[in-house]
Amino acid sequence: MSYHLDCRNYAPLDVAKGMCHVRKEIILADGTSCELFERLPKCKHCQHYTPGSEAYLGVCQAEATRAMTYPDLAGVTCEAFTWAVS
Amino acid sequence: MSRKLSQVLEESGLPLHFEAFGEAPAEVADREVKREPGPRAKRLRDLYYQTLSSATNEFPYWYTRGYMALEGEVPVVRRALALKCAFAHLTPTIFPGELLVMGKAHYYRGSFPMPWLSEGYYMAKEDELYQAALDKGSASADEVSQFGAGGGNVTRSFGNVVSIAGKFGIRREEVPALLQVARAWAGKSVDDLGHKYEQMVPGYEVKEAIMKAVVCMFDSGYTLPQGREVINYYYPLQYGFDGLIEMARERKAEVAGRADGDGMTGMNRLYNYEAVIHVLEGVQAWILNYAVEARRLEAKEADPAQKREYAGIAECLEWIAHHPPRTFREAVQLCWTIHVAVLNEDAISGLSPGRLGQVLWPWFEQDLAAGRLTEEEALELLECQRVKFTCIDCFASTGVVGGVLSGNTFNNLSLGGLTADGRPACNRLEELILEAGIRCVTTQPTLSVLYDDRLPEPFLLHAVECVKTGTGYPAFMNNRVAIEFLLGQYGQEGMTLDEARAVAIGGCLETSPCSWLPLTLASNSGRAPDGGTYLIPGGSGQPTSVGVHFISLPKILELVLFDGVDQRTDLRVFPAHGRPLSTYPELFDQVKAYFARAVEVLSLTNNIQHDIWRKNNMAIFNSLLKPDCLENGHLINELGYRYNATHNVETCGTVNLVNSLAALKKLVYGDRVVSLDEMREALRENFGFKRADEVGSYSLADQEKRAEGDVYDRIHYLCLTAPKYGNDDPYPDSILREWEEWLCAMCRDYESLNAAPYYPCQISVSTHAPMGAATSATPDGRLAGTTFADASMSAYPGTDREGPYALFTSATCWDHTRSQNSQLNLKIHPSAVRGVEGARKLLELSRSYMRKGGFHIQYNVVDSRMLREAQRIPEEHRDLVVRVAGFTQYWVEIGKPIQDEVIARTEYEGV
Repeated sequence: MSYHLDCRNYAPLDVAKGMCHVRKEIILADGTSCELFERLPKCKHCQHYTPGSEAYLGVCQAEATRAMTYPDLAGVTCEAFTWAVS
Repeated sequence: MSRKLSQVLEESGLPLHFEAFGEAPAEVADREVKREPGPRAKRLRDLYYQTLSSATNEFPYWYTRGYMALEGEVPVVRRALALKCAFAHLTPTIFPGELLVMGKAHYYRGSFPMPWLSEGYYMAKEDELYQAALDKGSASADEVSQFGAGGGNVTRSFGNVVSIAGKFGIRREEVPALLQVARAWAGKSVDDLGHKYEQMVPGYEVKEAIMKAVVCMFDSGYTLPQGREVINYYYPLQYGFDGLIEMARERKAEVAGRADGDGMTGMNRLYNYEAVIHVLEGVQAWILNYAVEARRLEAKEADPAQKREYAGIAECLEWIAHHPPRTFREAVQLCWTIHVAVLNEDAISGLSPGRLGQVLWPWFEQDLAAGRLTEEEALELLECQRVKFTCIDCFASTGVVGGVLSGNTFNNLSLGGLTADGRPACNRLEELILEAGIRCVTTQPTLSVLYDDRLPEPFLLHAVECVKTGTGYPAFMNNRVAIEFLLGQYGQEGMTLDEARAVAIGGCLETSPCSWLPLTLASNSGRAPDGGTYLIPGGSGQPTSVGVHFISLPKILELVLFDGVDQRTDLRVFPAHGRPLSTYPELFDQVKAYFARAVEVLSLTNNIQHDIWRKNNMAIFNSLLKPDCLENGHLINELGYRYNATHNVETCGTVNLVNSLAALKKLVYGDRVVSLDEMREALRENFGFKRADEVGSYSLADQEKRAEGDVYDRIHYLCLTAPKYGNDDPYPDSILREWEEWLCAMCRDYESLNAAPYYPCQISVSTHAPMGAATSATPDGRLAGTTFADASMSAYPGTDREGPYALFTSATCWDHTRSQNSQLNLKIHPSAVRGVEGARKLLELSRSYMRKGGFHIQYNVVDSRMLREAQRIPEEHRDLVVRVAGFTQYWVEIGKPIQDEVIARTEYEGV
């Protein structure tokens, strides 16, 4: 299941709600996405991402430093972001 | 049932009156001047009203990742690369209808913590936050909307949102990573390192006790290390970011390997220029990411008008990322972008845009003349700018955000003043800024008129009209007093009269050094502005309100009376003085001695904190904006700014101290109707009343008697009827004068880390509530835990009985040019200033205070009954604003102690 806050058309107003760029209306971040859903690049969708042992933590394998990261970090501006093959 | 103080006094024939110079009309009166913003700004402001204060881990994550990967790099370059990494990775968000874009974070009202300054809060709350992140609640629209009662404050966790510090919400899926990031800074943050070294100051235990007893409100170096200053937009406006990078590259080549006679820091210039280039490139990437987002939205947008707007945004950003602005709109956007970039570089409150109407004037004038802009279009941009500034949040701890700032960020825009050659500096654009403030009432930017008798009457009346909206802005600041203060403080650094005239207000009302710089409209703009050179003002000093942050003067008196022991905690704060206090001079002398001891230890420890800050956390972007860093190659940490004598000693509770000294002088030492021991006992027993936190109100009138409390009635009555400041009474006024003359001189005996003398700063911000809450009853009759008088020159509520002009005479019994500021708030009923005649009266009132030598006056034009109603039904007053102390805030976003205090202030029914 996908949620609004994972959608590229979702502009987050705050931690609970945002604006849909297509429908121009305020929607809840945790609301279920609609047929216009377009996946937002996030670490959890990146091929360099490996989940960690603790909840909400993972590792970025894009660099040798293997930096800590987290699944919901947006990857819109990350130069290393590559969609994972699903 | 417990009796309230107001009832007790009524029965004693001493009714408490909070109305002066007449009676309020029977009907509750609304503000006279009410206008609406244009539809675009209204939509954007309505969005703000619905938005929660939201924090994100994005900037801290990328900053920390960048920083930690550069172990061993030169500190300034390491920090620059970390900043570049963070700026370049921020996710851009653009909302439909926005003309001005970019923000601190991807939320509409976003902010983020900076654990490199202080990570202790997260470590202390680690388990609690982690559990909150793992406990999935049920998200619902109902739960979200109930926060309306607190405005945008996220006061508790809900659904997938975790509340931090009772103010900010953060998505639970970000919390574990935030805690990991915070952990990385343990032992390395400014807080931790500063604490390690400040303990080496002899007598450090006194500082610890001072903080625990709330004699001082908070440390300076790791909480809000910058701010309370005026930004300078000049260099990017004149040269563009490409031009600045080129300039830094040229200078780098000139200084590489050369000390040029400065064996201490001459070689550092190479690294500083390198750092400047990295940070500028990071800021450029950040801007261009927004441009890419605008193009993406343009491509997807179906509505032609919105599509054109996205294209316009993209074109604007693509240009200003590299070049000086060609148009008014580009100049407004660039100034906003610069402002946010500085705010993202450090934890800052009170970053003031300064005399923005004079900075933007060249583009406004030329666009208007060339037909590229109409006044209505300019007004729309200015309204949008107000919404943008209001969206700024400052992420700091509860104590700082709630206790000091009341959630405000103090971006003070100055109007008026004089030109370098002494002519009135106001212009038509400043009138539009006032008009935008009237139409689009928001809390930011607050406005200040730099008052000079030469300013034209229509301009001043327009300012008064704005005051009558009840927004609390503009405040009136005395330009002459400010200039004299600057010349006294910065003369040693070469300030001249012409330069002093560039003055603007940083933060609430901190007089700040500024400079004039020659702006030539860019010849490479491609759109051929008409040319011409303008002298524009901008900040040229370091943060002007850092150092000793808020000493509670009534608390100092409490410690004197009780031989150095805090009555709330039983903690020994100062070594016992052991003096009998048998004479009034002896008492006053001990007050000064304890105060001086506090300043000594706090100045030394804060010097260390700031020194740690500047070693690893120095401002790079803010520095390159300030004269003369780009020219001399030195940043803030190497005193590259033109003016560096900017550290201060802040005080709170002046009037309660003065009234208390007056009561002691008269009752104990003069009339001898109360012994000192009797007074001590009455204070310890809170004159027979409950504590304010038991009662649930922080206003004097609401306090309730204990069942057996009558035994202190006589003393309390005498204390309440003792002479009070604010009535043109030489008895208390002479005490105020003696205190001020001593204070203004003694601060200069202390040396900041910049090897310059401290100066006094006398504003309360919101500290009069928490400091009052931590202080026992005082000899002026104030009860334990209740809020102090606001500001520094405001009378204690209900005690100014002789009208505003008597209050002005009391307030100006000392020389305000010796202090960075003073502060006077007046509450006036709307009916007292109604109509044209009322406006002229209000102007004359302000003018009178300025002519007497007062530094600052501001007004709440409001019916107190409306505030009580708003306290009862907050959800119906989301848009109500009040003036607190140097800033305007949404009623629903300020704490109850300050609400009670604002309600209790004397309301003038006539002026």
